[in-house]
Amino acid sequence: MIKLKHAVYVLLGTVVFYASCSSKSEEAVAPNIANETITQASLKFTNQANAADTPSCTYTFHLDNNNNVTSVDSTTLKLKANSKYNGVVYMLDQTQSPVFVVSNEIKQRENYHLFFYQPTPIASAPVISNTSPYIPGTPVNPNAAPLNLSVVRTDLDTNNPPLQIGLSTIFTTGAASTGNLRWVLRHQPNAKNGTYAPGSSDLDVNFITIIQ
Amino acid sequence: MSNKYPLLIIILSFLTGFSNAQTKIGKSQLHLSGKIYDALSHTSLPAASVSVKGTTTGVLSDKNGRYELNINPGSVHIYCEYIGYTSLDTVVLITGDTQLNLYLKPASQSLNQVNIKGAAAVQKEIATQNLTVLQGSDLDRTRGLSLGDALKSITGVTTFQTGPSIAKPVIHGLTGTRVLILNNGVTLQAQQWGQEHAPEIDPFIANQIEVIKGAAGIRYGADAIAGVVSVNPKLLPTDTGTMDAEVNAVGMTNSRLGAFSAMLEGALGKNLAGWSYRIQGTYKRAGNTSTPDYILGNTGLSENDFSAALQYHHKNYGVDAYYSDFDTKLGIEYDTEVGSISDLEMRIAEGGPVTTYSFSYFIDRPYQLVNHATAKVRGFYNFGDSSKVDIQYAYQQNTRKEYEELSFSPSLDPALYLQIHTSTIDVNWEHKDGSGFSGSEGLSGMNQGNIRMYEYLIPNYVDYDGGAYAIERYKHNKLLLEAGVRYDYRWLRAFAFDATAAKIDVTTTHYSGNSATLGATYNFTDDLKLTGNYSAAFRPPSINELYIDGVHQSIGEFEVGDPNLKTERANDFSLNLNYATSWLAVDVEGYYNRINNFIFEEPTGTYYHAPSGALLEFNYTQANVYFRGVDLGFTIKPLDSLEINSKSSLIYAWNETINNYLIYTPPMRLQNGFTYHLGKIGVFRNVSVGAENVYVARQTDVPAGYDFEPPPGAYSLFNAHIGFKLIINKTPADFDIAANNLTNVAYKDYLDRFRYFADEPGRNIIFRLRVPFKILTKNKESINN
Repeated sequence: MIKLKHAVYVLLGTVVFYASCSSKSEEAVAPNIANETITQASLKFTNQANAADTPSCTYTFHLDNNNNVTSVDSTTLKLKANSKYNGVVYMLDQTQSPVFVVSNEIKQRENYHLFFYQPTPIASAPVISNTSPYIPGTPVNPNAAPLNLSVVRTDLDTNNPPLQIGLSTIFTTGAASTGNLRWVLRHQPNAKNGTYAPGSSDLDVNFITIIQ
Repeated sequence: MSNKYPLLIIILSFLTGFSNAQTKIGKSQLHLSGKIYDALSHTSLPAASVSVKGTTTGVLSDKNGRYELNINPGSVHIYCEYIGYTSLDTVVLITGDTQLNLYLKPASQSLNQVNIKGAAAVQKEIATQNLTVLQGSDLDRTRGLSLGDALKSITGVTTFQTGPSIAKPVIHGLTGTRVLILNNGVTLQAQQWGQEHAPEIDPFIANQIEVIKGAAGIRYGADAIAGVVSVNPKLLPTDTGTMDAEVNAVGMTNSRLGAFSAMLEGALGKNLAGWSYRIQGTYKRAGNTSTPDYILGNTGLSENDFSAALQYHHKNYGVDAYYSDFDTKLGIEYDTEVGSISDLEMRIAEGGPVTTYSFSYFIDRPYQLVNHATAKVRGFYNFGDSSKVDIQYAYQQNTRKEYEELSFSPSLDPALYLQIHTSTIDVNWEHKDGSGFSGSEGLSGMNQGNIRMYEYLIPNYVDYDGGAYAIERYKHNKLLLEAGVRYDYRWLRAFAFDATAAKIDVTTTHYSGNSATLGATYNFTDDLKLTGNYSAAFRPPSINELYIDGVHQSIGEFEVGDPNLKTERANDFSLNLNYATSWLAVDVEGYYNRINNFIFEEPTGTYYHAPSGALLEFNYTQANVYFRGVDLGFTIKPLDSLEINSKSSLIYAWNETINNYLIYTPPMRLQNGFTYHLGKIGVFRNVSVGAENVYVARQTDVPAGYDFEPPPGAYSLFNAHIGFKLIINKTPADFDIAANNLTNVAYKDYLDRFRYFADEPGRNIIFRLRVPFKILTKNKESINN
């Protein structure tokens, strides 16, 4: 009697065990969805003196089907010497359908985001303040010919006091020169204070820049 | 301070062969001896009575509290009583000459809370391997901590942390899947491979945590090449017609943690005799942790756990069922989700958070939601010849959702969702005979399936495991010999996603290997013994090591798996010397664990270009490595009321293939402390005070180029505690007040992944209250037969 009872438990356990083995749910593989990705980031400019002069530059991330980056490419930014340009940001997540305009969402969350624009090479360290779009720690190279470009942000968020965002900018060029523009988007939830340090980077790219 | 002597083992066993002990007449009688102590002051108790229930065997202890009995082998029902103390009533399996110290608690204390210390060499699953038990007041003093943190007081064990809320145990330098964790006899099957995946166990369920240091694959299957942590609940009560409850409350000043745990248990009487039950639940909330200089943002946690057990025991057989559910939400420190190497370098340069956070219980993104449910059914049958068969089936479901910090997406989904289903079945047969042979043979099987959603990190997979083992022991006079072999087979089918071709690659791999153990213990005297053990074990590569592809909430790392990895093979040698008398206990263990094809992450030197910046790429590779080290523990009792403790662990790890050190090897750790028992002061009973110093050296043996920052400096912490008992309205209540990091030292720990971002927690004052009470008691006469 006792042994029979015992055997029943063994049998029961075995049945449950094999029942659970026959699950096929592992083979039905769910699609790969990332919550957020940036596939394309562009800067679009309009010459203040000539509305027909609209240079731009675009950085593209090519993703595989796991949303991992396989390769990147970037276009060269060509600006006219001794000019002023109004700049705007345009960023996309093309993995979503319809295509998700990231820059619009950043406008919605402007109190958490801050853009930085750093021309290089620079001959001397720029003045870094709460309103400066320059990136602290950028190496100074007094021997190289500097990129004659200065950048100011022209938009403000709704923090109190208001802080800059950098979705719109004015780029002022000097004499003809070549170099790079490093462009960084900082994500600073509950921590934005106008400086670079808080939070982490959402975007960190580089454009070859020619002022001619 | 320590109630724990390595190699001493509690032997409260529910091998309920009550009838065997009294009816069998053994050919050769065994010698049972030991001392009887007051459980709190540790003073010996003269003229206490010890008897074997159901027989005429019984003696009184001598003036030093010592007793000696000649008894028949098998399950022995020991009954020990002393006026003014709670009687001790327990069943002990005796298979050889045994030293068993009995600890009686003063009668004013809770019943059923007896504490037994004894040395019974043959009681362990692997007799010749080092086993350390955390229990009694040592365990009580870890209440409210996570499982990983609770184990830190054991020599040779430390933790690998991800901030203040996530800790994984490290045994002899190894962690993750290489350390097996058992929850009430069920091997925890979760996503252990992740560095920031803490074990999903509520330590409040345990009244004893056992740690095997060393390769224990022989008994616990593939994977256990570093050690085993076994979290054991108290045995269910068997005194019919009783009902007991216990309430635990913990409050901490740092993180303002509040934990509350309640338990109700009992044994039914009359027609339902043999049935017993327990239900237990834990509720825990904590907010942001503070370091001496700043608050760590978003480091709160919440946890809700529940467990229930039901058993039916009859003369020679029994069935028990157990269910536990662990549910937690863990905040991940703000600013630690760095997007790139340059972010990380900036954080390291800053040394701490740049944003000032205030205290809050709110848990924001990034956070983890983890649920682990375990159900098991176990049955056993004791044969007349004192052999026993045990069958266990368990089903576990682990669900892990990781929510990342979102920059611009309105999504409410987790970044990562993983659910793992596991069924295990274990059959174990234990046997022993009068001639000195004993052993166990068994079979085990496992089926596991993993389901993922959202971000692709590891693939779905199906896994079938099977194993068979045999361990035999032979005891002759002072010598115990042990040998065992095991074979394991794993069939693994992964549904890996081919990112380029956008199709599923079904890959099936097979792994198999042998485990073995060979050991001997020689008892020079009752007090001194020497144990040597050699264990071979193996570990098949885990799913992430084979197929991971992506950024795993990790520190500027992009990880790539290798589907062609081979199994790791460990050859672990250990030598243990144990000396224990009433005033001095020394335990020294030296070990050498050589692991061939050790799997580790290696930087490839290339960068992965994410939109957020450059990440360093790591891939999984293999090398031959070894770990060698010494664990030394001793306790001196110059007075009956004073206990001085010292624990040291030293470890050295070397990668022979590339002739370099191994990363994340724990540095030297020294713990020195004392406990002084003051006895009764006014209304305060059992007053004890203690203090300890924890010194952790700087790790200097590190490989160059594998880390973002050199290891932090050495640190020295002071901890202190005071404990006492109050009788409130006839109910005894245990109070304990402890201060950790009393001097509020700012320090960083090498084995914390978040040391790049922040210091470790500052001063923490912990208040603990434990109130056990009886709801139903049975009649006195039934205790005394």
